[in-house]
Amino acid sequence: MPPRADTADRSRWSRYRDLVLYKTYAELRTESERTYVGFLWWIVEPVLSMFVYYLVFQVIMQRRTEDYVAFLFVGLVPWRWLATSVTHGASSILSERSLMQQVYLSKLVFPTVSLLTDTFKFLVVFVLVLAFVVISGFGVGPQYLALPLVLVVQLFLITGLTTLAAAVTPFLPDIRIVLSNLIRLWFFLSGVFWDVKSFSAEMQHYLRLNPMTVVIESYRDILLYDSWPAVGKLLMIGALGLLGCAAATVVVRRFDFVYPKLQF
Amino acid sequence: MNDRRLVLELRNVGVCYRRRRGLFTRRAAGFWAIHDLSLELCRGETLGVVGRNGAGKSTLLRLLAGITRPDRGEYVNHGYQAALLSLQVGFVQHLSGRENVMLSGLLLGLPRREIARRMDSIIAFAELEEFIDEPIQTYSSGMRARLGFSTAFHVNPDILLIDEVLGVGDAAFVEKSKAVMKDKIRSEATVVLVSHSARAIRSLCDRAVWIDRGRLRKSGDVRSVLAEYKASIGTASGGKREIGEEPEADATDAGSRNGRG
Repeated sequence: MPPRADTADRSRWSRYRDLVLYKTYAELRTESERTYVGFLWWIVEPVLSMFVYYLVFQVIMQRRTEDYVAFLFVGLVPWRWLATSVTHGASSILSERSLMQQVYLSKLVFPTVSLLTDTFKFLVVFVLVLAFVVISGFGVGPQYLALPLVLVVQLFLITGLTTLAAAVTPFLPDIRIVLSNLIRLWFFLSGVFWDVKSFSAEMQHYLRLNPMTVVIESYRDILLYDSWPAVGKLLMIGALGLLGCAAATVVVRRFDFVYPKLQF
Repeated sequence: MNDRRLVLELRNVGVCYRRRRGLFTRRAAGFWAIHDLSLELCRGETLGVVGRNGAGKSTLLRLLAGITRPDRGEYVNHGYQAALLSLQVGFVQHLSGRENVMLSGLLLGLPRREIARRMDSIIAFAELEEFIDEPIQTYSSGMRARLGFSTAFHVNPDILLIDEVLGVGDAAFVEKSKAVMKDKIRSEATVVLVSHSARAIRSLCDRAVWIDRGRLRKSGDVRSVLAEYKASIGTASGGKREIGEEPEADATDAGSRNGRG
């Protein structure tokens, strides 16, 4: 007998929740077992890339930024959260074609799993960044209360972008190549290895039109400079991110039955 | 058993695949894998589907499973869960057999608690008690096939859609899996069976349809549909055999079907 609609809805929701969590677990396990030192790479890789920028900017180009290691870490780790999530998310629907031809699944499952996987890895490293910052003697103050806001705002931004990229890529896989270059350009514009405050007031205004500049500056304000972030701007970015999530969800659902039929 | 209660209906459906084209490749027109096809499926019946390669049988099953929607016409599901018998869905090499059963079961639509409840019988049927907590990358392909079959078999949807695979594994397991599959088909389950084996269709199905180039060529009792289908093959393709009378023609290996895309 067909079950009643409300219990069916509830059981569908709990099945999707279990499925997404289990698939995320499977992704994380696979990733950590594919290499010799496994999940240690989640930590070692950001440290290595931090070391590259340190070498180039501090040692070779002799730029004088105080506490450059902490400065880089606090910028680079949240940046990598965005970059890895969007890059992986862009292929998430495209690469599950054989699965979606065997069973019906809401296609939102795939970007969600990809996003959760990268978010989990980010959180592991972010906790270490917090420990590093505190141990290095930076003050812990009431401005830490704004940290969850910054994290949530960035999560909304990432979710919107990841889902949008996932929705479009199956129709035009070439986007992935453009996307990787766009993300690199965005990286250079986001103040990961330079400080926005070192530019003229007018220039600072333009640089802060980039949401990631604001997000990264907010992390540094809280963790390194004992000051409160620009909450109003953050809320606007969060709203923008939510708008992106809503738009992307509409697109993915609109093409729910088209994705399995695309011939690659 | 067959109380003529409709579970699924297709009304004049058409399914069109559009080839995505590159900028420098010539525009390909849409390909209609199914045209104007109407079909009804009643509770408890077993419907056999025959037809040549590329006739649209797999597209038909995907349509019935709710994986794709028709581009024309109407698909009506009267509130039943329909699922393809899909083996090793979502299997991950680095996870243990037990974890893969859970993952695959969730993908196939079972709630977690239900999978946990059926776990022991899934493992027992696959005869993998000793190895179930080892990663499946250490399994032989036969062991993986057994686990995949056992998981899929225990899902038990309201409507089971089978694309050729009745049994998998080594000779002994093929016999065992075919036996349980046939028992299930002969029971009150609602089944759509696509097969090139006339023997399987004749012994298992209550009714058959013949699909030809995306259209319903004939529908009715098994014997007359099979007879006409076979006659057309004899005349049309210069004796090329597509429908088998061989004793084991229905024991297609799961691995080869599974990887198709």
